[in-house]
Amino acid sequence: MIMSIILTMVGVMAFAWRSGSKKEAMLPLSALPLKKDSIASVKAFEKVYRVLMSPRCMNCHPSGDIPLQGDDSHLHEMFPKRGKDGKGLFAMKCGNCHQPSNTPGKHSPPGNAEWHLPPANMKMVFQGKSAAELAKQLIDPKQNGNKSMKQLLAHSEDGLVRWGWKPGEGRTLPPMSHAEFKKAWETWINNGAYAPKSNQ
Amino acid sequence: MNTNQVSRRDFLRVSGLAGTALCLGFYFPSSAKEAEIINTTGTASSEIELNAWIHIDTNGKVTIFNHRAEMGQGSFQSVPQIIAEELEVDLKDVNIVFAQGNREKYGNQVTGGSSTIRSSYKNLLKLSATARVMLISVAAQKWAVSLADCYAASGHVFHKTSGNKFHYGELVVDASKLATPKEVILKKTSEYKLIRKPLLRQDTPLKTNGTAIFGLDKKLPGMLYATVERNPRLRGVVKSFDASAALKVPGVIKVFKVRMGVFKTFREGVAVVANSTWAAMQGKKALKVAWDDTGFEHINTADIYKRQQDSLQTQEGLFAKKQGEPDAILKQAEKTVDVVYQTPYQSHSCMEPVNCVAHYQGDKVEIWGPIQAPEWVQDYISEQLGLAKEKVIVNMTFLGGGFGRKAFMDYPHEATMISKEMSAPVQVVWTREDDATQGPYRPGISYRCQGAIKDGEITALKFRMAGQNNDHWRAGKTDQANRSTAEGFLKPYYDSIKNISFAEVQFETPIPTMWWRSVYASTNGFAYESFLDEIALAAGKDPLALRRQYLQEERSQLLIDKMEAVSGWKQRKKNEGFGVAITECFASTVGQIVKVSRAENGKIKIDQVWAVMDCGWYVNPDIIKAQVEGSIVMALGAATIHEITFKDGLVEQSNFYNYKMPRITDIPPIEVYIMENEANAGGVGEPGLPAFAPALTNAIFDLTGKRIRKLPFDLSAV
Amino acid sequence: MITLTINQQPYQIEADPDMPLLWALRDLIGLTGTKYGCGVAQCGACVVHLNGEAVRSCVTKLSRAAGQKIVTIEGLSKNNDHPLQLAWNEVSVPQCGYCHSGQLMSAAVLLRENPNPTDQDIDNAMAGNICRCGTYPRIRKAIHLAAELQKKEGEAK
Repeated sequence: MIMSIILTMVGVMAFAWRSGSKKEAMLPLSALPLKKDSIASVKAFEKVYRVLMSPRCMNCHPSGDIPLQGDDSHLHEMFPKRGKDGKGLFAMKCGNCHQPSNTPGKHSPPGNAEWHLPPANMKMVFQGKSAAELAKQLIDPKQNGNKSMKQLLAHSEDGLVRWGWKPGEGRTLPPMSHAEFKKAWETWINNGAYAPKSNQ
Repeated sequence: MNTNQVSRRDFLRVSGLAGTALCLGFYFPSSAKEAEIINTTGTASSEIELNAWIHIDTNGKVTIFNHRAEMGQGSFQSVPQIIAEELEVDLKDVNIVFAQGNREKYGNQVTGGSSTIRSSYKNLLKLSATARVMLISVAAQKWAVSLADCYAASGHVFHKTSGNKFHYGELVVDASKLATPKEVILKKTSEYKLIRKPLLRQDTPLKTNGTAIFGLDKKLPGMLYATVERNPRLRGVVKSFDASAALKVPGVIKVFKVRMGVFKTFREGVAVVANSTWAAMQGKKALKVAWDDTGFEHINTADIYKRQQDSLQTQEGLFAKKQGEPDAILKQAEKTVDVVYQTPYQSHSCMEPVNCVAHYQGDKVEIWGPIQAPEWVQDYISEQLGLAKEKVIVNMTFLGGGFGRKAFMDYPHEATMISKEMSAPVQVVWTREDDATQGPYRPGISYRCQGAIKDGEITALKFRMAGQNNDHWRAGKTDQANRSTAEGFLKPYYDSIKNISFAEVQFETPIPTMWWRSVYASTNGFAYESFLDEIALAAGKDPLALRRQYLQEERSQLLIDKMEAVSGWKQRKKNEGFGVAITECFASTVGQIVKVSRAENGKIKIDQVWAVMDCGWYVNPDIIKAQVEGSIVMALGAATIHEITFKDGLVEQSNFYNYKMPRITDIPPIEVYIMENEANAGGVGEPGLPAFAPALTNAIFDLTGKRIRKLPFDLSAV
Repeated sequence: MITLTINQQPYQIEADPDMPLLWALRDLIGLTGTKYGCGVAQCGACVVHLNGEAVRSCVTKLSRAAGQKIVTIEGLSKNNDHPLQLAWNEVSVPQCGYCHSGQLMSAAVLLRENPNPTDQDIDNAMAGNICRCGTYPRIRKAIHLAAELQKKEGEAK
């Protein structure tokens, strides 16, 4: 069922789950939380946004097809490309350097068994996105990897997401603990997954 | 003193050759400048030590000793190509063997100064032609015909009219009994079948299937592996160390202090010896070492350049070269240019990190490694250990890059000391981090360049440099100017510009410095050729026209003709930046033109590099092109990507993530041309490097009006 | 005991499972064609194929390599006649030659997955391999030539 919900409130212009084309899929109603608290939701998303835009998360959600690297989020040395499946191209596949776990040493490749970028048909760009844009993108199954609300909720426990808090030597951690992030993530979603005003 | 008999036996042993054969060599009699060719098959010449050998066996197989290192420059191809030409054999029948370090036998073996061909080609030609004439003589005698009726080709002697032929192998026994002819006629350039042809390199197949043995690939029975934690401040001694954690690493056998010579000084470190490289590396990480570097300044890069540039404003320095009175002219001149250029410290960063295998056996030591200067290693180790020279056997392997770094003795000495402690063969592996942080480096140099112009003409040039003098690490005298101060500057300028001086303002630091591909020309070239561009602008002249005007010598004029023709210099368009530089290095002159433009993303793009090499007589044009291409890539890295910097006496770069290298994505199209002439052969491996950086920055000036006087610079930020 | 299958040969070695494959190949098994350049996956001199992928053996632990199919430069072809090896020879690509085991192993994956690589494809595949001698222009040329040779080889079969 396609639907759009528009909520307004004092001080916060809640975003639309979607707007525009009616063809876009929407989250099923059943997945939506019963509780709607746009203030609490938006406030939680501020925290979520800070984490998602930290280098540990954003570096693999680049605006182009080359991942970013380092705390300054520069273009990854040697310009590896996303490839169709997000796992690189030819002799430069992510897993050729990035091992199932972090390689010890300050400048060695970090690692995780799932190491990859979003695939070419679902780029899930974080880089350059405002909080409003990112929130809208995250809950749009057309842009979030066809994730239902339930799957989205569970995503904070994803192995690659969790890697962000064990990134290996020499890499700054996201700006809060994983527990705090998880709590904010869930608060955001469970209170209606509202987006901040578009100028925030 | 060895006798020739012993030398020859050594030769046969090492090359695995035996039996009756024709064996010729050349040597330099102490009284003469020219080499003499000598037949060493018999015993008559038993008192003479030879510089190079060729050996032809009864199967007609030719073996030669390559007395120079093969580090990519192509000596493995060029030397046989010369010999096969005058000997009239097929290249496939020439077998090449690495010579051992032996000053008496091979003379100067240091593979440096782009000298492999230019220092020996005439003797190699003469040596091979002599062997050919002796083989023809035997055949003519056997057939009882005149010499003129016989000729040699493809390892055979033919009789012109009858078509009879002998294989060389059938002639060597008799030929070895002949005296060497006094005079032989060498081929004309037009008669060459192999020389000057782009023949494929014989060493390529070894390098495409993993069979080429580099220093790091050398294995001996019972060989142990070692790493060394060396003083990160490059100088000073080990105060104390804690090996307890290192010794707990599985595979680690022993941990001890080691001292190695660094030129006239020394360095200390702690060696970790293990049964694998990996275990040795893990052990090194677990070491705790306290260092004592009392007396050595903890230097910072910013201080280095400030001191250099301050002194260039106040000191005249030691004159290296002077003609006329540039000072007097500069004082009176109405129009002068006075600017400072700065060039960085650089690491060689060969892809094969420094390494060495040593096997100390009490009364002798045998060494294998990627070694550019085997006889220096032999001299040094024999001196340090008090061993007779013949007890120090130095074997060259393929070098995974050299660029000057592997011409020194610190790492073989270190390996020898570790092998001595272990009483076993040991391979010492420098990690990439060791290689990057320990030097020696190309010195960082500041230049002050002054010029006077009158009526659009150059009336005086005054150059001063302040930077470390590599010679001071060896035998160099500190009361003399660096003899390389004027390197890179073209000699014809001395005829057309009457007042010129070069001086060195002395500058010292504790940082070890040494030769880096093309040595001082690599930095001088940037300063002097950028400055000529600035002078051209001040004089209102086209930069290439200015060079044409002041380089009044035929070879220079022809070089400039070629540069103009291939680059379309005169037809260049408004939105294109063209830059030129011409430099001399090791007896070859290279002119380069770089074309740049602004890409759609606003960044400077190098559209094309044209390089014209005048190296006189040459062997293999394809190897020359490859060397120039590689030199340009290396120059691109040094000009725009990497530099070694110091903070509190520590090197700040450690591996390719912070001493970045040009990659395939960074390389502009490069065209290389070779001038055709008969002049004496010049160098090939290095002369292609110095002209690139100034040609690039001159092109950027042409496009943007922005003058770059400090290297490296960020190409993407211009 | 760790079992490795290298160039179709089985090897049993006694080693720390954390030891990088590179050092097991070189020091324990004696296959020295695979080179050490940086130790931190920056230069590509150590590239080998692990189940067909161009992994960097300096950071690939034995625990990952165990039981998998490994091909090193010594096993790229039987007679030094892989189209890339032939092209490398024809174009005289190597100078010092040290990095080229890795260059060839990287290029082999490119040619397998993309028989007609463009210059951009070559950049995408080869930017991870450093050559200090600067043979890059020839690497590019030789990969294009190898693609042609591979095509001819395919037609001949």
